[in-house]
Amino acid sequence: MSAVRQSGTGVFSMNGREWSLLVACLLAVVIFSVASPHYANPGNAVTVLRNSVELLLIGLGMTLLLAMGGIDVSIGIVMGLAAIAIGRILGADGSPFVALVAGPLVGALLGCVTAAVVVLGRVPAIVGTLGLLGVYRTAVFALLGGQWLSGLPSSLTDLLATTVLGIPVPALVIALAYLIVWLALRRTPYGLHLLAIGNSEEKARLSGIPLIKVRFMTFVISGVLTGIAATFYVATYRNVEMSIGSTSALDAIAAVILGGTSILGGRCSLLGTVLGVLLLRILQNGLLLIGVPSLWQPVVTGVLIIGVLGFEAASNRLPLTRFQRARA
Amino acid sequence: MRTLRNLQGPALTLALLCALWLIVIVGLLALKPSVFNLGTVTTILQFSTILALVGLGQGMVILAGGTGIDLSVGGAVSLSAIIAMLSLKLGLPPVLLPAVCILAGAALGALNGLLVNGLALLPFIATLGTFFVYSGVALAVTGGAAQSGVPGWLLVWGRGVIAGIPVPFLTLAIPCFALAGLALMATAWGRWIYAMGFNERSARLVGIPVDRVRFILYALSGALAGAAGLVSLAWLGSGRPNIGQNLELESLTAAMLGGIAITGGRGGVGGVFAAVLLLVTLKTGLLQLNINTVWQVGIVGALLVFVLLADRLSQRWRS
Repeated sequence: MSAVRQSGTGVFSMNGREWSLLVACLLAVVIFSVASPHYANPGNAVTVLRNSVELLLIGLGMTLLLAMGGIDVSIGIVMGLAAIAIGRILGADGSPFVALVAGPLVGALLGCVTAAVVVLGRVPAIVGTLGLLGVYRTAVFALLGGQWLSGLPSSLTDLLATTVLGIPVPALVIALAYLIVWLALRRTPYGLHLLAIGNSEEKARLSGIPLIKVRFMTFVISGVLTGIAATFYVATYRNVEMSIGSTSALDAIAAVILGGTSILGGRCSLLGTVLGVLLLRILQNGLLLIGVPSLWQPVVTGVLIIGVLGFEAASNRLPLTRFQRARA
Repeated sequence: MRTLRNLQGPALTLALLCALWLIVIVGLLALKPSVFNLGTVTTILQFSTILALVGLGQGMVILAGGTGIDLSVGGAVSLSAIIAMLSLKLGLPPVLLPAVCILAGAALGALNGLLVNGLALLPFIATLGTFFVYSGVALAVTGGAAQSGVPGWLLVWGRGVIAGIPVPFLTLAIPCFALAGLALMATAWGRWIYAMGFNERSARLVGIPVDRVRFILYALSGALAGAAGLVSLAWLGSGRPNIGQNLELESLTAAMLGGIAITGGRGGVGGVFAAVLLLVTLKTGLLQLNINTVWQVGIVGALLVFVLLADRLSQRWRS
C-alpha cells in the first residue's frame, strides 16, 4: 500500500511523467507552428480545447477503470446512446434541464449494465465490454433508424455555452469533475480500495476490501462521466451522427496510458490523463493541419499506446531504473 | 436429465451446439421456408471459411492461457490481403501471392507475440493497439479503395465448388482444423498448450517452453488471419481494406461458444468449428430475412455476453 500513498500528494503536484508530458505538449505546439502557417492562431487553440472536452470527462472515468485493472471499450458508444436520449428530449421540445439530467442518468444506467456483466458475471472486462460494444452499436443504429439526429433546438446550447465569472461552463464542469474524482481517489477509502484492487485482486480480497462494491461503483462513475460528456457533445454539435463515439474508447485508453496510469493497476495519475488528452488532441489536430489524412489517426493512436507501453516495459528492465521504479 | 449431466466437456458443448443449430435452422425455415437451398449452403460454407480460420487462431491463443487473446485478427486479415495486393502491384510474381499473404499475416502475428512475450505487455492491450494500427494502415494506405487485380487462377480456386462445398473450405479450413485437432490431442506441443493454459506456473516448473509456445501461437494466429485474407482475395477478386471488420468480435464469440474457457486450458477446436457454422448460419439466415447487417454485430455481441455468463452460471451449478 505504500506505493499507493506516495504518488500525487497535492491536487496539482506533478511528477516526472507529467512534466515530460507538458514539455511534449509544448514541443508539439512549437513544431506544428513551424510546420503549418494555419496552426498558431487563437481560433485553433480554442478548437483543440473544445475537442478535448468530451475526452477529458471520459478519460477521468477510464483512468479509474484502468487503475483498477479493468477496461471499457464500449464507452464511446455509451456516450452515443446518452447523446441520443438527450437529443430525443430536446427534439420533443423538452426542457433543457430535463436533458441535463438525462445524460448522466443514461450513462449511469448503462454503467450498471456493464458492471452487471463484468463485475457480477465475473467476465474479463475486455471480453465483456467488447460483446456489449456490439450490442450498443446495434442499439445506436436501431434508435437512429439510419438517420442523423440533426437540427436540434439550441436551448441546451444556450445553457452550456455561457460563461460564469468569465470562465466557460465546460471548463468549470471539468474542473469540478476532476476535483471530485481526485478527492474520491486520494482522500477516501474508495480510492485506496480501488488502487489496492489494481495492485492485486487476490490480496485486496484477502484484506477484506468489498471488491464487488468498489468495482461496480467504478463502472457507474465512468458511465456518469460519459453521460456528462454526451451532454456537452449534443450542446456543441446539436446533432447525433451514426458514427458517434467510435474512436472515443481508443483515444481515452491512449490518453490514460500516456498519462502514466499503469494498466497493471495500482498506479494512476489524473493530471497525467488530462495532459495525455491534450497531447493526443494537439497531435491529431496538428497532423491534420500539416496534411496527414484523418484515416491515419487510429494508426497514430495505436502506435502511441504500444510505443509508450513498450518503452515503459523496456526501461523497467534496466537494473538502473529499479530504484526509480521503487520510488514511483 | 441424468444423461445430460453425465455428458462433460467437449461432448456436452457439441451436443448443445448441435441443438442450438437445429433450433436456428428450424426457426429460420418457419419464418421463410425458401431460406435454405444448395446456393445458401455454399454461401454459408464460403463465409465460414474465413471465420473458421480466424477463429481457430483465436481459440488456440486463448487456450494457451496467460490472459491470452488476439484482438488484432480482423486488422491482420485486412492488412495481409492489402500487403499481398500492393506487393503484386510493385512487381511481385503472381505465383508468390498466396505465400506473401500468409507470411505477411504471420509477421503481423509475430509482432503481437513479441509485444506479449518480449515486452511482457498485457495481451488485450497490446493486441488492441495493433488492431487499430493494422486496420488503420490497411485503410489509410489504400484510402479505403478496394485493390483489384487478383490473378485468374486464384479465382478458380477461390470460387470453385465441388458438390456444393466451396474449394477453399475443403482445401484450407478442414485440413487446418484437422491438423490443429490432431496436434492438440496427439502431440507434446498440444499437451503443452493445455498445460500452460491450465496452470502456467507449474507448466514452467516442469520445463515446458512456455514463452516459445506462446510466441508461436500468436504467429500462428497471424498466419491463419493471413490465410483468411487470401481466401477473401480469391473469393471476392479484390483486396478490401475493411474485410476484417468485426472479425475480432466474431472469432471471440466463436471460440467462447465453442467451449474454450476464457481463462485457457479447457476446450477444443471441434467446438470452435461447430460454433463457426452456427454463427454463420445465423448471420446468413438473418440476411435472407432482409434484416439489416447492422443487427448482426449486436446479435453476435449479445451471444458473446450470454455465453460468458452461462459459462459462469454452469460452473456455479456444478460445484
